[in-house]
Amino acid sequence: MKLHMFIVRRLILLVPVIVGVTILTFTISHLIPADAAAAQCGDKCGIVVGYTDDGDPITAYEANRERLGMNEPLIIQFGLYVTHLYEGDWGESSTYHRPVADVVKDAAPITLEMAFLALFIAYPLGIILGIISAVRQDRMFDHISRFFAIAFVSLPIFWFAMVLQLVFATGTESSGICDPLFGTSGGCFPIYGRHDPSLTYPVDGFASFYPAGGTGFHLIDSWFVTDEKLATLPEGWSSNWLLFKDTLLHLALPCAALGIASSGSLLRYMRASLLEVLHEDYVRTARAKGLSEFKVVIVHACRNALVPIVTILGFSIGGAIGGAVLTETIFAFNGMGRVAVKSIQYLDFPVIMGVTLITAAIFLLSNLIVDILYAVIDPRVRLE
Amino acid sequence: MTHDSKTDEILLDIKGLRKWFPIKSGMLTTVKSYVRAVDGVDLQVIRGETLGIVGESGCGKTTLGRVILGLIPMTEGSVHYDGEDIRMMTNRDLRRRLQIVFQDPGGSMNPRMSVRSIVGEPLTVNGIAEGAELTQRVADLLASVGLKRDHMNRFPHEFSGGQKQRIALARALSLDPEFILLDEPTSALDVSVQAQVLNLLEEIQSKRDLTFVFITHALNVVNHVCERVAVMYLGKIVEIANTKDLFSKPAHPYTHALMSAIPEPSLDKVARRRIVLSGDVPSPANPPPGCRFHTRCPIAEEGLCDVEEPKLESIGEGHSVACHFPLGPGMTLPILGDDQNPPEDDDMPNTVLL
Amino acid sequence: MRGWDEGEEDRKENLKRLTEAISQSGSDIWRSWRIYRRSLLAVVGLMLVLSVVTVSIFADDIAVEHPYRNLQDTQWLWTIDNEPQRAHPFSEECDWHEQSIYVDTRSPFFSETVVAVSDNKVGDDNKYYRDTLSVIELLSLKDNKGYDLNISWITIDPNNSSILILSEELYNNSSITDKVWLTYEFDNEAMHLSWMPDGYDVCIFGTTHQGQDLFSKVLYGSRVSLKIGITVALLTVTIGTIVGSVAGYFGGRVDEVIMRICDVFFAIPGLILAMAFVTAMSAITSLTIPLWLGILIPILFLAVVSRTYLTSTIPQENQLSSQVMGSLVRNRNIFLGLLVFFFFVGLIPGVSWSELFGLSESREWRLSAAIGIILLLGLIGLADKRFIEKSSFDGAGERVSKSLDWTNPWKYLTLRTVAVFVAAFYLFEFSGSTDDEIVVIKTFDRLWKIQAALIFTGWPGYARLIRGQVLYVKEMTFVEAAKSVGAPPGRIMFRHILPNAWAPLLVAFTLDIGGTILSASGLSFIGLGAAPGTAEWGLLVSDSRQFFVFDPHLMLFPGLAIAVTTLGFNLLGDGIRDVLDPKNRR
Ligand SMILES: Nc1ncnc2c1ncn2[C@@H]1O[C@H](COP(=O)(O)OP(=O)(O)OP(=O)(O)O)[C@@H](O)[C@H]1O
Ligand SMILES: [Mg+2]
Repeated sequence: MKLHMFIVRRLILLVPVIVGVTILTFTISHLIPADAAAAQCGDKCGIVVGYTDDGDPITAYEANRERLGMNEPLIIQFGLYVTHLYEGDWGESSTYHRPVADVVKDAAPITLEMAFLALFIAYPLGIILGIISAVRQDRMFDHISRFFAIAFVSLPIFWFAMVLQLVFATGTESSGICDPLFGTSGGCFPIYGRHDPSLTYPVDGFASFYPAGGTGFHLIDSWFVTDEKLATLPEGWSSNWLLFKDTLLHLALPCAALGIASSGSLLRYMRASLLEVLHEDYVRTARAKGLSEFKVVIVHACRNALVPIVTILGFSIGGAIGGAVLTETIFAFNGMGRVAVKSIQYLDFPVIMGVTLITAAIFLLSNLIVDILYAVIDPRVRLE
Repeated sequence: MTHDSKTDEILLDIKGLRKWFPIKSGMLTTVKSYVRAVDGVDLQVIRGETLGIVGESGCGKTTLGRVILGLIPMTEGSVHYDGEDIRMMTNRDLRRRLQIVFQDPGGSMNPRMSVRSIVGEPLTVNGIAEGAELTQRVADLLASVGLKRDHMNRFPHEFSGGQKQRIALARALSLDPEFILLDEPTSALDVSVQAQVLNLLEEIQSKRDLTFVFITHALNVVNHVCERVAVMYLGKIVEIANTKDLFSKPAHPYTHALMSAIPEPSLDKVARRRIVLSGDVPSPANPPPGCRFHTRCPIAEEGLCDVEEPKLESIGEGHSVACHFPLGPGMTLPILGDDQNPPEDDDMPNTVLL
Repeated sequence: MRGWDEGEEDRKENLKRLTEAISQSGSDIWRSWRIYRRSLLAVVGLMLVLSVVTVSIFADDIAVEHPYRNLQDTQWLWTIDNEPQRAHPFSEECDWHEQSIYVDTRSPFFSETVVAVSDNKVGDDNKYYRDTLSVIELLSLKDNKGYDLNISWITIDPNNSSILILSEELYNNSSITDKVWLTYEFDNEAMHLSWMPDGYDVCIFGTTHQGQDLFSKVLYGSRVSLKIGITVALLTVTIGTIVGSVAGYFGGRVDEVIMRICDVFFAIPGLILAMAFVTAMSAITSLTIPLWLGILIPILFLAVVSRTYLTSTIPQENQLSSQVMGSLVRNRNIFLGLLVFFFFVGLIPGVSWSELFGLSESREWRLSAAIGIILLLGLIGLADKRFIEKSSFDGAGERVSKSLDWTNPWKYLTLRTVAVFVAAFYLFEFSGSTDDEIVVIKTFDRLWKIQAALIFTGWPGYARLIRGQVLYVKEMTFVEAAKSVGAPPGRIMFRHILPNAWAPLLVAFTLDIGGTILSASGLSFIGLGAAPGTAEWGLLVSDSRQFFVFDPHLMLFPGLAIAVTTLGFNLLGDGIRDVLDPKNRR
């Protein structure tokens, strides 16, 4: 099969899943006992905003119901919802008082930035430990690293994040290792938030360094802050590098928490995959040729063992976004996880639907990309 | 083991039978191509006889059997059992009258079931016997295949290959069928056990008035057991004849090649010469045009054999062959090279592999 | 013909099979154990799991106080003043023998002799009485402004050292102030753990911000977590197995549809989905189903599972010539499924047809729709392949009469025939009525809501696993052999395929208990899980968030408990995988 045919086919396969996700989220959010019409008018629901043809008064609440199509049968409501989605109207958040699309657009890069960076930690860690574990199979190192792999998977991520905060972000007599070790008062890393709150500088009325039309990824945006704005910054902060460093430091702990938690399963996959490859004929042949063990493992075996690891990349991104719900809550990042938690707590169902749809879309898209990558690396899968 | 030709009654009538396995590529995709495991088979089985089917591995023997038994749907053609289309027969009827002994006796038994449950399963599911009666009947069945009553509570993995084969046979006999398809019942057994099982089969056949279709690789077994033999190649029957005729005057070059591979000193010198078939067996997914054997046939003629497919035509009483150039009696195949006489030991490096 | 006494025979046979199975697995277990012994980590996991289970069973005996001891309950009587809050583990505060209470002398409950100390015990066996300690010595009595009062106005009841007696004088002298403060020394015996050496008092984990013993809370938390973990794993396994085996066994379109549904679930992060689902269920207080549906479902289930004479007359699979009818027949499972689905969706209160399609909700309408659906089902069922094959109904009558054997009408009295009639009756009689209900879960509390949410998000994983396994086993020869002797699909599934497909399920089950415990505590941490005040590990960690910088023990112990329990199950599952699939071990 040609590669482009493969891609087209995969795209077609996505359609039913996306439709399913829409139906599922729509159903769930309609089961949630919240009245969007009442949420939008708040305490002004009783106010009469107009009159029907018969002269009966229409309250704000009734008008809202009418406008939101809540008097229609569910199936029509679903149709309306999908049409609006398609037109880019995702509804209005009752907690944020902003369009859902804007809320999600602000939140998504925060989560993605964190998830990507976390995988940046998880993959090298998992793969390297997995290789060593496989090579030193059934020795002490293997046992220990397997134990830790399982232990990492077993850690409650929210608790682990708090432990990291305790150890690396606080400097008190009772806890924290940074004070005695590095002499940094208040810990090595900021305890929460995306920026240093004392150093944010009001720009155009907002406490932000970053240009409005940026990517939302602060690791990137920090390099595009214009000089004029920088010129008004406090002393010592007049460089993009410092902004970048600030972002990175704030990201360090949440990403470490997420990354270490995901590295456990990666280690196990890598170990299993490499063990499988190490028993293949061509590896034996390579050994028989007298190549050094290092060369055999790194050059011959790992290259092939890594191929299946690529497939779980898509799932790890999904897992990292799921884990972000908890880490964001702890580290006070206003990413999608925190938005989801908040919208659920306040029964704000347009946001719930929006966030769910976007996370699903990200998950599906990353899986698609991974699948295509896989098909490029290993043409055999295209045949299946 | 010859049959009386006057009382010939066709029990099983197979016409134009095809079984193509689709090769699918993923979901939402149309079927790309087919494995033509069985591709146009016409065959009659006469009541009370033992018909052998021989052929190379992968030529579609098992598939043919599964289709006949209605275990997988056929793609085209028809199978009539005792005048009735098997597709129109009730499941119950079909299962009680036709039975099969699978190629892999061990694999055909659920490892988590005792022999009692395995042999008794046909009786249970058809509501024939239960409880103590079931136990008694299973014991009888086991006895009839030469196993002991206390084997009943054991599990399949505790038995040897020959014993497993007997258990499988007992299961097939439990519904008291009229027809049993034996899929290579002896190929996994060593020679002495093979003989035991064959004798057992013969005994049971005469006792119960059974019709057998006997699928096998081993031509010597065919010679011993079958009245008629059909030779299969790549999903088609290429030759069918009485056993004696087939062995004395094989007409199809492929049959010749097969005969020459029999390591039996009693066969005459001509057939003893090993015939080396050149090339590999073509894939049933992509069978060659014309005569399917022409890619390996020493006497194939360009322009005919690779274009036109030969039909199965009668060349004598009960002897049909599908070849453009059927070999007459006593004719031999041209042999490539001189030293085709076999070495004295029975090591056969280049002969056709069954 | 099957006799009427078949039930007994079946039972006997089942018993026999059970013993067979046990005798077989006995040797299996022994062999497994020897392999297992080699795997140190798995043994560690087993020990961890066993100890958590033990702790949860004996929590009543180990714990010091009941985790749900509610300080507010007794406040009308008196209030504890200086219960140590957020005491550190083993700290001096824990060695605590004095407390002040204030006594409301105006309370209508007071008479001459007053129970000044609560008698309000909690716990199943009324064992926890931290608040009813035996008083050893009264130290001081003060009025509301802090002035000393005569200590002899209050005395200890000589018969019961938990009861204080307020004297007449106290009443006479407390006309201005309505409350008095009493400080007394009490015997801390009840708070001393019997299994700890002398000199060590309670609060080995410290106390929470409400002054409750953290150790007791963590102990009791194991009950909640294990309950959630095991319930959810069991139910998800059941649902996943049913769905997955249906997908795997029938294959084709059914499989495709089920797998696409699973994909939908995989696409949404489980935690977010579970959160939304918990919220969606927030208005439900008890889980009920309409009575008629409760009766109908088992009947239909039996009807599907049981074997009948009529079904076995239908040939398995045949070729088709008619294009339109052909595709109808090929897809009839989907049509059937869709029809049944819509039918039942129409019955769910709140998502009824009327709301879904904006249709009238009258009983007549429902009934006619029900009849219509049944007719359609019948039509699809009738679109049988062998009729289409001939493109006419030639010989159909003959065939039907042939398959009907009037000489022995008893044999049609199968379970299925009866079931179909009863089901039809119920369908017509009670369709859509919501008067009588069967209570499935009486108090659908928050714990149940987490469980429901985790089951809801968890089943697709199992479905996919079982599907793959069934697909694999289905291809084995013994399944075909069973078919070749006429075994019906139900028997093939339950007797042949599933018994050979459970091994990976066991591994997934064990691993899933750990995963479920993690997810449940995550939900509680966010505040969507267990009700506030519950002894739940996630909740304890969540409660500690305000204080954890200075009192890290508050989060350390519950978090460790989660980690250790999950680790135990994960190690165990990993070990079982090694045993069942030695290839993995290499
Ligand atoms: N279920 C199936 N799906 C696809 N192809 C199949 C299937 N079953 C058999 N085949 C193919 O059909 C061909 C014939 O198989 P079959 O099992 O009938 O051979 P056989 O003659 O019994 O061989 P053997 O002597 O080794 O048992 C083979 O090429 C096989 O790969
Ligand atoms: Mg075969």
